[in-house]
Parts: sequence; C-alpha cells; structure tokens
Amino acid sequence: MTQMLSPDMTMTETVTEKTKIEVKNLNFYYGQSKALKDISLSLPERSVTAFIGPSGCGKSTLLRVFNRIYELYPKQTAEGQVLLDGKNILDRSQDLNLLRTKIGMVFQKPTPFPMSIYENIAFGVRLYENLGKSEMDGRVEQALKRAALWSEVKDKLNASGLSLSGGQQQRLCIARTVAVKPEVILLDEPASALDPLSTAKIEELIDELQADYTIVIVTHNMQQAARVSRQTAFMYLGELVEFDRTEKIFTSPREKRTQDYITGRFG
Amino acid sequence: MMALCVVAAGIGLAWLALILGALVYKGTAGLSFAVFTEMTPPPGEAGGLLNAIAGSLLMTIIAVVVGTPIGVLAGTYMAEYGRFSRITTVVRFINDILLSAPSIIIGLFVYELMVRPMGHFSAIAGAVALAILVIPVVVRTTEDMLNLVPNALREAGAAIGAPRWVVIRSVAYRAALSGIVTGILLAIARISGETAPLLFTALNNQFWSSNINAPMASLPVTIFQFALSPYEEWQQLAWTGALIITLTVLGLSILARSLTGRREDR
Amino acid sequence: MTIASDAMPSSAAARARDATVRRFALTDAIFRGLTRASAILVLVILGGVAISLFAGSWQALSSFGFSFLTTESWNPVTEKFGALAPIYGTLVTAAIAILIAVPIGIGIAIFLTELCPRPLRRPIGIAVELLAGIPSIIYGIWGLFVFAPFLQTTIQPFIINIFHGVPGLSSLFAGPPYGIGLLTSALILAIMVLPFITSITKDVFDTVPAVLKESAYGIGCTTWEVTRRVVIPYTRIGIMGGVMLGLGRALGETMAVTFVIGNAHRISASLFAPGTTISATIANEFTEADGDLYTSSLVALGLILFVITFLILAAARYMLMRIDARTGA
Repeated sequence: MTQMLSPDMTMTETVTEKTKIEVKNLNFYYGQSKALKDISLSLPERSVTAFIGPSGCGKSTLLRVFNRIYELYPKQTAEGQVLLDGKNILDRSQDLNLLRTKIGMVFQKPTPFPMSIYENIAFGVRLYENLGKSEMDGRVEQALKRAALWSEVKDKLNASGLSLSGGQQQRLCIARTVAVKPEVILLDEPASALDPLSTAKIEELIDELQADYTIVIVTHNMQQAARVSRQTAFMYLGELVEFDRTEKIFTSPREKRTQDYITGRFG
Repeated sequence: MMALCVVAAGIGLAWLALILGALVYKGTAGLSFAVFTEMTPPPGEAGGLLNAIAGSLLMTIIAVVVGTPIGVLAGTYMAEYGRFSRITTVVRFINDILLSAPSIIIGLFVYELMVRPMGHFSAIAGAVALAILVIPVVVRTTEDMLNLVPNALREAGAAIGAPRWVVIRSVAYRAALSGIVTGILLAIARISGETAPLLFTALNNQFWSSNINAPMASLPVTIFQFALSPYEEWQQLAWTGALIITLTVLGLSILARSLTGRREDR
Repeated sequence: MTIASDAMPSSAAARARDATVRRFALTDAIFRGLTRASAILVLVILGGVAISLFAGSWQALSSFGFSFLTTESWNPVTEKFGALAPIYGTLVTAAIAILIAVPIGIGIAIFLTELCPRPLRRPIGIAVELLAGIPSIIYGIWGLFVFAPFLQTTIQPFIINIFHGVPGLSSLFAGPPYGIGLLTSALILAIMVLPFITSITKDVFDTVPAVLKESAYGIGCTTWEVTRRVVIPYTRIGIMGGVMLGLGRALGETMAVTFVIGNAHRISASLFAPGTTISATIANEFTEADGDLYTSSLVALGLILFVITFLILAAARYMLMRIDARTGA
C-alpha cells in the first residue's frame, strides 16, 4: 500500500477528522461526453456529506462511481483515483462485489426484491456470511430496528417486500443495506419518491446512522441537504464548484454560482 | 368501406367458427373411455390412441427438458450479460427466423443429424426435433420478460455485493418468472400439434413402446396416417385425436395468457 | 489494513470472505459462459440446418445441376428429379392464400381497433390469437373431410360452368372437380394464416399514438379517413412485415396442405387440378423414398424451401424491427 492519507485542502475546519473516501482528479465519461471534470474532494468518516446541484450536474454520476455501479453499463468510464481508506477502488484488481459489500447504496425509487421482507434482508447477508437460523433472525431484527421498521413489520416478516408502502419499502432497502455491515452508505435521492412524512422518517434515520457509517447523500432538495448533512458539495455542469461545511455553504458561500443556486436564481 | 371491414370480420370469424364446430362435432362422436385406454388398432378394428398419446407426452417432456434450459440461458445472455453486445443483435435476428422457419425443415435437419448416422428412426430424434422448436420460443419470451425487469432491481442487487449470476437467479428470474413460464407453456402448445418434424424422425409405431431409441407413435403423426386411410374407424380416431390436441393447445394457451394477464392488470 | 465499522472481521472471517469472493468470480464466469454458449447454440442450430441441408442435397444438386430447378418431371423409377412442379405449387398456393388472407386480416384488425364495441374487443382479440395457435393439422383434416367434398360437389361445378368458354378463365378453372387441388390448398392456407396476420396487424395498429388519431378525429375525419390517412400510412412497414411473416408461414406450411393438394408432380393451368408443394412432397415421399438420389432430391427441395423462407422471413423481421425501433424511441 503506497498511498498515504493526504491532508485535505478544500475543507476548512474538518482536517482533524479521518478521511474515509478521497477523490483525486476524477474524470468520468458517458461514451465521448465528459460528465465529471477533474473532481477532487475528501469525505470524512462517520458523517453525512450531501451532493447538491441542478439536474445533470453530475452529482449522481459521482455517487455511482463510489461503488462502481456504473460498470453495469457499457461505454461508461472513470479516470483518476477514488481512495477508500487509502486504497484505490478504481483499480482493476479491486473485486467489485467485495467493494459493494463495503459501500452500500440506496436508490431513488424503492427497490425491494421480489421476495419476503425477511428474505430481502437475509439475501445479502447470506452471500458472504454463513449464519445459523437464530443468528440470521437476530441480524434481520437488528437491521430492521436500525431502519426503524421493526415495529411495523415484525408480525409479517414472510409477507412480500412489495406489499409495503413506498416509505416502508425505502426503509426496507436501508435495512437491507445496513444488514451487510457496510462502511459507507450511498443514498441517491432516497426521499424524492416519498411523501413528506416518510421523508422525515428517512432523514431522522440518516441522522442516527451517521454515528456508525460514512454517509453520502445526493439530493435536489436543498432544505434536505441543510437538515441532514454536515458538509455539502455543490456541483454544476460536471464540476465541483464548492465544498465546505453545510452551514457555510448555505449562509456564506465563497462562490457566486453557489450563492445563485441556493437562493433559487437558477437550477 | 368500413362496412366491408365488418363483413371481413364476420366472414373470417364465421369461417374459423365453422372449423372448430366441425372439429367438436366430429371429434366428440368418437370420444370414449377406450380412446385413452386402448392401443391404436389395426385397420378395420376398434381401438384407442393410448400409445400415440403416451408417445406425444414422452417426446414433449424430453423436448421441454432439453430445450427449456438452453432457451432460458440463451435469453438470459441476451437480456443480461450480453445486453449491449453485438452477438445479441445477431442471435435475436437468427432466433426470430428460427421461430417461424418451416418445421419440416427442422425435421430434415434432425434426420440428417441423427436418423441417418444412427441408421434408424427413433423417439429421441423426434424429441430433439421438437426441442429445436421449443428453443426459439423460450429464447424470445425469456429475453422479452427479463428486459421488462427494471434495471433499478439489478443495480440494487449488485449494490449489496451480489455477483451478477446471483442477481439474475434470485432477483431477475423471480421478477420475470410468470413471463418465462408463459413462454414455456406456449412452446409446449406449439410442439404438441407439430406433425411435420416427427414424420421422419420418430416415425410412427402401431404398438406400445417406451424405448426412446426406437420409432414411437405420436398423436399428430397418427392423425395424419389415420385421416388419409380409407378405414372409417381410423378416420374417426383421427378426428377424436385432433379434438384432443386442439383442446390441449387451447388449454395451454389460456393458462399462459392468464399467467401474464395478471401481470398486466397490475 | 484499515477497518472502520463495527463489523470487525477476524482474520479467519476475512479468509472465508476472500474464498467466497473467489468462488463467486468462478461461478459467475461459469454461468456467463453457459448463457453465452446457449446463445451461440442458437446460431449453431441455424448454421447446422443450412449445412446439413446442403450436404444432404449435394448428390442431387451435383447430378442434376441447375436443371433441378427448371425440370418439371419427378420420376422415382428412372431417378429423374426436377423441382419445378413443387416450387410452382408452393409459390402459387402461398400467393393466393396471402391475396385472400391479407385484405380480410387487415379488415378484421381495423374492425377490432376502430369499430368493434369496446366490451367485445378483448374477447374477440383473444379468440383470434388463440386461433393463431391451433396446429395446422387441424386445418388439414378439416380441409380433407369437410371442405374438399363441399367444394367438389357445390362450388367447383358451379364455377366451371360459369367460366366455361370464357377465354383464360376457362382454363384457369378447368374441370373435372376433384375437390382437392391447388385452390383448395390455397384456401385452407388462407384460413390458417388469417388469425396470424390479423393478430400482428392489430398489434402494429395499437402502436399508433392515440393523440395522432384523436387529432385527426378532432378536425372532423371519419373513421375510414383516419384509418386510411393516419393508421395505415403510419403502420405500413409493420403491416408489410406481418404480411411477409404470414407469407413465410404459408410457404413452409406442411400439414394443412399435404391433405388436400393431391400430390401430383405436374404443373396444370387449372387451379382445380391436383398439384404439389415442396413441403407436401417431402412429407408424403420422404419415408418411402428408396435410393440415395431420391432422398437427396427431397432434401434439395428442403434446401430450396429453406432459402426462400429465410429470405422472406429476414425481410419480414427487418421491417418489424424498424417499427419496433420507432415505438421504442
């Protein structure tokens, strides 16, 4: 391991914290077109980072680089480095499945698997761990509690995951992600398809989860970013415009473009 | 002008109704318990269709057991691993041609492939010919149904660290299950009435046989032989056999339709 | 190693995890290979069909050469074989069948999409699709026992009398009325491909965007005008594809024809005369063919049928792919 953790230059106040993910000179292409332009930033461990910006700014693209989910599709390529605990995950020798057990992801629309609530969670755990029945029951319960869903589903664990409401489905997806014990959780607009009440529950959950996980959330909802995140990155046209503590971004941004966006002048 | 369309619909549907009417009328006349319990008779005697029905069942089962996995796997490649590859485009095109290729050609192919080298007709050759007819139907429906599975589900599977084949097996297949089963049912419906590919592969057999290495009777070939004979008993059995096949095919099609119908209503 | 979360794997657990990772890589590669091999098998099958037909027909093709295609005589005794009569019969029966089935099929499709009372649309549509799946042997047996005798005793004598003495038509409809023959086969084929053409045409009609039709109705067009000026032009390629697919079926159909064609290796001017088609010849004679040259000639017939249908079906698929691409976009 030759890479050493380098001190972060863009953050003003969080240098003391350990860096979990460090992005260095990242470029991303959809075929010929460049979607991310020379992105560099460091995400501190056990805190929530938000990516904001108008549609098409590259915030989701950046998130999808972190677990290399983009590789399911052809003609999408990333250049540069993304270091997880100092190790470049874009390295070809990095096993994708192993990477994704460390970096979980929750998507915009709830995506419960076509199986029971119990199986939805046990499915991922069973892949890499050989647990007995009672251990697995415990793990499922723990994950559902973590996702604040246990009390609602504990009597119908064998019901289909698809039978739940949208908000419950999304919490099931969070439980499923938590159950495999990742180190990082990526959230891609996790509340955009949900009603306000469910959204509030998800936000509450994110707040609790940051005690144990490094969380990155993409959102088009600026209030949401302001509520849940500790630091915020503002992106525009594939560039990282500004990255700082959230209250700084929302109260006194350095950049004019950031100012314009958060005050609603464009986007 | 539009009146002509109504007339066309009337003529077309009436014509088809006429055929089905004749089939039911003539077929039920010979329908009896003996049809299912007795062997095909020698000319001029009464009998049943037991060996033909059993032969058809056996060859259909072998064809489905051989053809379905190949068809499902090929469809899986086209919709999953190879979704964006050039091979998929070529395979899809060729498969569509195979889907509507004349079945007698498939019979000739299997004759050259198996019957000629083996030196004799056999049930297994007949089953292989039917399997080749099963494959394109299953490939087509499997690919179509897997393409309907949202990519978000595949991403979600990959995102918890499941390798591609586990995502396919546990998520994509499960989501597409009823559609894939529909394809298999349609394939069975298709081969259960096929005559041409069996004529010179499985041939026919007047007696009971469970030896897949020897000629075997099948319902369609028996109908063909009996219908063209001058014997009244045989002709009656041909009608009854035709009715049995039609009811089977219609039953399978309706079952298949009800499986996918449920999905569409959602 | 840096380990961050509460899941502190012991080194044994880490080793087990690595083993799992390697196992997954292997199983995934195997599964991928299996699916790929199966997909390629589809190509191999079609290639195998072409090669085996070519190999099987080599003897006939090399003995008769090009004259195989242009000779009418088919004589197992002298072992002189020519494919002209079955080719003629195949093309004529399929062409007549398509000429009859296409207008009726399109008519039914228009009826189903534009005219039919809404509650009846689905049941009739389903009935048509179910009929498309009925095995062709059913049509054949009906043709033999019901339709041919009916034609022989009523329709054919009537037509022969009407056109008696009319130049051209009198030889096209010359007697005696056998019942079976080219026209009977063509009619049976027409009925058989009818549900097929109807259901494809209906499917392509359904791809016409509702807003297109509504705007035409909005400016006061009648149903006929909307169909004529909007629906049919919009779906022209798709209809052509469906027709070609039906043609491919009619050309290669065996059982519906074999019962009623009469199996006569000659080309007659009269449509009432018995004839033969490629598939009927193969079905009738293959198992009884003695002598390699006889068998090889039958396989050569199969090769000709394969080439014709391949070209027709390829064209059909190409057309249907174009309409798919448009609705997909």
